[in-house]
Amino acid sequence: MDKVFIGIDVGSVSTDIVALDVEGNILSTQYLRTNGQPIEAARKGLRNLKEEFKGDIEVLGVGTTGSGRQLTGIMVGADVIKNEITAHATATITLVPGTRTIFEIGGQDSKIIFLKDGMVTDFAMNTVCAAGTGSFLEHQAERLGIPIEEFGDLALTAKKNVRIAGRCTVFAESDMIAKQQYGFSKAEIINGLCEALVRNYINNLGRGKKLEPPYVFQGGVAANKGIVAAFERELNHEVIVPKNHGVMGAIGAAILAKEYIERTGRTTNFRGFECTDLDFTPTSFICGGCDNSCEVIKVEMNGKAMAMWGDRCGKWTNSIA
Amino acid sequence: MKVAFPYMGTTVIYKKLLELLGHEVIEPPEPTQRTIDLGVKYSPEFACFPLKVVLGSYIEAVEMGAETIVTSGGHGPCRAGFYGETHKKILKNLGYDVDIIVFDAYKRDKMGTIKRVLKVKNGKSWITVWKAINVVYAMAKALDRIEKRIEKMRAYEVHKGECTKAWKTIKEWFDHDVKTIKDVEMTEMKSHKLLDEIKLVEVPEEEKIRIGIVGEIYVVMEQSINLRIEETLGNLGAEVERSQYLSEWIDYNIMPGAARKEHELYILKKGEKYIEEIIGGHAKQTVGHIVDYAERGFDGVIHLMPFACLPELVSQSIIPTIGKEHNIPVLTLSIDEQTGTANTLTRLEAFIDLIRNNKRTKTA
Ligand code: SF4
Ligand code: SF4
Repeated sequence: MDKVFIGIDVGSVSTDIVALDVEGNILSTQYLRTNGQPIEAARKGLRNLKEEFKGDIEVLGVGTTGSGRQLTGIMVGADVIKNEITAHATATITLVPGTRTIFEIGGQDSKIIFLKDGMVTDFAMNTVCAAGTGSFLEHQAERLGIPIEEFGDLALTAKKNVRIAGRCTVFAESDMIAKQQYGFSKAEIINGLCEALVRNYINNLGRGKKLEPPYVFQGGVAANKGIVAAFERELNHEVIVPKNHGVMGAIGAAILAKEYIERTGRTTNFRGFECTDLDFTPTSFICGGCDNSCEVIKVEMNGKAMAMWGDRCGKWTNSIA
Repeated sequence: MKVAFPYMGTTVIYKKLLELLGHEVIEPPEPTQRTIDLGVKYSPEFACFPLKVVLGSYIEAVEMGAETIVTSGGHGPCRAGFYGETHKKILKNLGYDVDIIVFDAYKRDKMGTIKRVLKVKNGKSWITVWKAINVVYAMAKALDRIEKRIEKMRAYEVHKGECTKAWKTIKEWFDHDVKTIKDVEMTEMKSHKLLDEIKLVEVPEEEKIRIGIVGEIYVVMEQSINLRIEETLGNLGAEVERSQYLSEWIDYNIMPGAARKEHELYILKKGEKYIEEIIGGHAKQTVGHIVDYAERGFDGVIHLMPFACLPELVSQSIIPTIGKEHNIPVLTLSIDEQTGTANTLTRLEAFIDLIRNNKRTKTA
């Protein structure tokens, strides 16, 4: 029977699930589309996992992270519920010791994390500006009629450099059209876009800070060779893309759960794989208590209120003992 | 005359002063989304965030029947100096018939100040005024002492939310029960007793986390628009201390006598190296406080910066240097109408993780 620690990263685009053995080796990774239904995605992932091990599996601990960490954490009975920054940094420090700077670019957001001696010293996040994320690339790929999978390889074939104003998606788009009319090839335009994205990312998130190597690049967009190359040109230095770059958050959550269980000697809160069959319903309502009109989220499991949040005054959050 | 005041921090204090002077006081509600929406809607787009919220709060006060609003002005070159004027103009354009009495720094305009005092004095004798000021000053001091205690306790409460609840009760007591200095003393004692009852978890000294909160005064003091930062950090297990407390503000800006100014001057001195001129707002204090927190062994600083605030933009640009030179992590949060997002919480959580890890390896 395999003894494992599970990490679940529930983001707005994807839900990733990994299982580590007691030595910390990665036994299983999954990448599922969230499709606006975090609970369903997590359920499906857990069922897959059980099947993969033919039910012959003992869970020693569970960690959740990502924007849906709270909700999923309650459903599965997580031992550790952690923010994305800490989760990502934990995974990177473990898999690529000595890392000083982490670039993370996902579908909807991006972050930069600075480390020293295996510890986070600073970080920045961007969730408002699309110009620095995967969705920007996907959108442009679509416009140019190129499947996103081929995007990176095509960028590498560019012969000439073209600079695309990438400050903002709207500018980038109109500039791209203009450059197309000047006769630049698709490959060159794509390469220009990759460079614009990297410039943008570094300007936005690295603002005024010294970027020290070793650099690690992770997140969904790290699969794109064009972007990796653009980073390397911009920094004039090698950029490491870890093998499991797309599921680093989940790996970090699993490691954090493992560390927690080992440190405290507790047994896991995991509700078992049966939790995927429990009646678990999040609902929301608008509180009329004052003019804040908060949207309060209430989570019930088999009819019992488990948690509430979203209120600004704490009256609902604190109502659950 | 129905009098209101801007909503900021522990408002029972201003309310008490006006009441003791015999005014009928209209207390505007604590700012909510509606307040912010109103303020944003009627303010110039480029105005800084506090100006907008305060405007919203004035509109709500006027809706409740306020005829006069008493407020303090700001100082010098930043926009705070024009607060009163801007608000007056906007309210007038909206057709609200309301008088705004702005108390600027006494030194700059003695005659004007006296005139304004006479208005607010409401025909009371100077003795009454003097007494009222003394009571309110004692009350401000007492409330700040209590709040500082709560800011430390909250990190360790067994039942989440107890401290906040007690704080609410205490403010109500001060509101209802205090008329004299004696009352202030009694109520303070009673308050500390109430706090003594709250159950706390024992945490070893070396694991305690202390965070300083610095920045522009309105966003530092007004919890309803700053994510309830003190509660949020408390729930994450951190003790907090703010760079501004009302009684200290009174000491520096209103109370005569040099001794009381010392603390603020001391802080300004610490910021000297990074910002030489007083550029307005609280930028110089912000910088000075960060240095002070570092020297006092705090584990980190949260810097609150209102959207479109020039002075704090300046301090933000120097913060990386200060953080490095004094070896203290600083997280800047920009405060605007969209602050209450999960995203900001994630950043706060990650910040506390960073600090906790730092500590673990330092002590290990
Ligand atoms: S949850 Fe609290 S802050 Fe939000 S609307 Fe209700 S009473 Fe107001
Ligand atoms: S200090 Fe900043 S927020 Fe305050 S009034 Fe001046 S510009 Fe506005």
